[in-house]
Amino acid sequence: MDTERRQFFRNATATAVTTVVGAGVSLGLWPTGSDQNDGSDAAHAGSVDSSDGTIPLRPPGALAEDEFLARCIRCLRCVESCPNQAIVPLEVGSGNRGGGGSGGGQSVRDATPVIQARRQACMLCAGIEGDTLKCGQACPSGALQVIRKDRDSIKSNVMMGTAVIDEALCYSYNNWSCGACYRACPFGGEAMTLGLWERPTVHPEACIGCGLCERACIRYPQAIRVRTGGGGG
Amino acid sequence: MTRHQALHHGVQWMRHGLRLAVIVLMVGIAYLSLYGHYRSARAMDDLTDMTGVQGTALRAVDSLLGDVENPQPILDGFKGTVWSMRVFGFDVTDPLAGAEPIAASRAIHLPLVWSVSVPILMTVILGRVFCSWVCPAGLLFELCDKLRRLLRFAEIQPGEVKFSYRNKYVFLVVGLVIAFVLGVPFFSRIYPPAVTGRLIHALVFPPAPIAGSIVILLVIVFFEVAVSPRWWCRTMCPGGALYGVLGWKRVVRVRLEASRCTGCRDCEPVCPLGLYPVRDSAGIECDNCGRCLPSCPDDALLYSVGLPGRKARHHVKKTTENARHGSSSIAAILLFLVGLGAVLVPVRPAYAHHILGLPHYSYKDNYPQVPTLEYPATSGPYEILMTCYPGIPIPGEAANIAFYIKDKVADQPYDGPPVSVRVLQTATFGQNQEIVPATEISAFDNLYKLSAVFDTDGEYIVELSVQVEGRTEVIPFRMIAGDPSATPSILAAIGGGMIVFLVAVRAVKIKRERHRLHSVAHGDAHLEPSV
Repeated sequence: MDTERRQFFRNATATAVTTVVGAGVSLGLWPTGSDQNDGSDAAHAGSVDSSDGTIPLRPPGALAEDEFLARCIRCLRCVESCPNQAIVPLEVGSGNRGGGGSGGGQSVRDATPVIQARRQACMLCAGIEGDTLKCGQACPSGALQVIRKDRDSIKSNVMMGTAVIDEALCYSYNNWSCGACYRACPFGGEAMTLGLWERPTVHPEACIGCGLCERACIRYPQAIRVRTGGGGG
Repeated sequence: MTRHQALHHGVQWMRHGLRLAVIVLMVGIAYLSLYGHYRSARAMDDLTDMTGVQGTALRAVDSLLGDVENPQPILDGFKGTVWSMRVFGFDVTDPLAGAEPIAASRAIHLPLVWSVSVPILMTVILGRVFCSWVCPAGLLFELCDKLRRLLRFAEIQPGEVKFSYRNKYVFLVVGLVIAFVLGVPFFSRIYPPAVTGRLIHALVFPPAPIAGSIVILLVIVFFEVAVSPRWWCRTMCPGGALYGVLGWKRVVRVRLEASRCTGCRDCEPVCPLGLYPVRDSAGIECDNCGRCLPSCPDDALLYSVGLPGRKARHHVKKTTENARHGSSSIAAILLFLVGLGAVLVPVRPAYAHHILGLPHYSYKDNYPQVPTLEYPATSGPYEILMTCYPGIPIPGEAANIAFYIKDKVADQPYDGPPVSVRVLQTATFGQNQEIVPATEISAFDNLYKLSAVFDTDGEYIVELSVQVEGRTEVIPFRMIAGDPSATPSILAAIGGGMIVFLVAVRAVKIKRERHRLHSVAHGDAHLEPSV
């Protein structure tokens, strides 16, 4: 009886300790080596601490990042539902899946849905049957909210990020003329306007961060990028 | 074989069939989704000349759905895996998947609660049947048992370490507490059914990552084969723990008819969970798999239906004939099927038409894509971005490398003296080999471009020398060309390592035994005599 109880406590303690350590490491409480940013490691995609780039671009209707991470059960239903295959599961450490880095603090995002606008941007389910955005409709846990598919609802509820133009790279600001981003923008004239020589200007208050402009940019590396603020939506 | 045994052998085949059906359903849903992507992209012509499994599966889906006038509701009605699934437009979610976001976000999302209610109800009635009748990872772990038998056949004795069954309840509570404290789900990432689902998804959607899922499953498989039989299901699985608690007072259970039991213990080695059915079949651990039923030579074990609290034994007394056992068991199976049917009730969501703007489609693999791979670095005030076209260079073909250096503080591109770049091939042994000597590059439209040819698959270092605040900084970018390390080689390495480990363990054991026999033969008093 007493031995059994002692055995139980020993077992329980062992499990608890293993869990806590395992969870700690996997959730990235402790740096796992690739976190240190010395010169030799600089080539690793995740070794750069860019505070604005660490939150990946989430599908439309996502809650604020912390809340999103708490709610998302990593079931990949949104990935399956995206008609444009824009949503992909984040692969931590690859540097190839939506700006996620490796190591400390990033592995909590493993297998969460992201959009790599450069690869495939969110086209807001245009031309697809249904009156809501598919990803929010597929989400079982409310990490992605259901958003009705009309201009007003999308404009007021989707806040994935904001497009930012790098004028040093943009052709239209460097003696060429392009305008590809403007033609890709679903809210052209509101979220983005063109000036002389097709120089684009982003209007952050109307930009929802779908990434179609980043996708369309003919410059490589792209001169326009969606920056996430983690505000959600 | 008695009729009872024959019937319950049949039940076992049903169980295996259902499990396989669940996997087929998951694969089918994944292909249905992929098919949906092709439909959305108006790329149906591509299906005709697509080769391999992918092509066959997608064409099979097309032959099913091609004639349906509007398949969109069907495509929307099937999503996900056993972790969280939509079947016929109806959401079903694993109770653990329901509990975790509640713990992590401290908020309740009602649709999630509805979607876990059916599995919970099913568990309350049928017990922990998810584990034995549905769980795809459970099937994998049952295969581990077969592997252990194979090992024994090969005279390699796999480990038989015993862990406490109560560990899983501790694990469940600790995991939920972790989720609560950190605000991030924990089990979602390691729970084998969820991982298996993601693996199936990744295998159907090729660019998706599979390494993480495979590692988690292989660790468990390794542990089950080498260390402790059915370690995960018996002692670790948090989902099993939750199902166990929910199904503790289950209506359908395996019951012992004490008057028939001769105490032969034939049922004991059969139980996949390592229980002694005569004693434990009414307890919290039993998952109603029914493996013990046909093993009983005296038909003393049977499925029974009874409300909780009702003394099962009295119920038994009335049904002593074989036929009655049969009917009771059939009732249990029927109840199970009804439960399953309840999950599969077709609910058709309402849909309306709405078209918005012009879509921008182009998702084919061979569509000229700009690579998304970027190699960022920082140095002083500068943010340096290296890009390469193609993203992962093809050996033997020219690849265009470009550097963009930007002063983050001044928000201006770098306009110092020309930068210098050289390319090295890394060598596992010895010196790195220089394949492009240091080359000075001037800016063209604010980019520093270099064309290089990577001769072989392998790892390379692109070294950028740039003037930062008056001194020369050398920044190495590690990149790969071609496909130096494929997944099969990793799997082979893990498998090989496992075999080596087992053989080593065996060798040590044999040597120890020999040593002990040797000592005994020499009459060492302080050693225990051998049997």
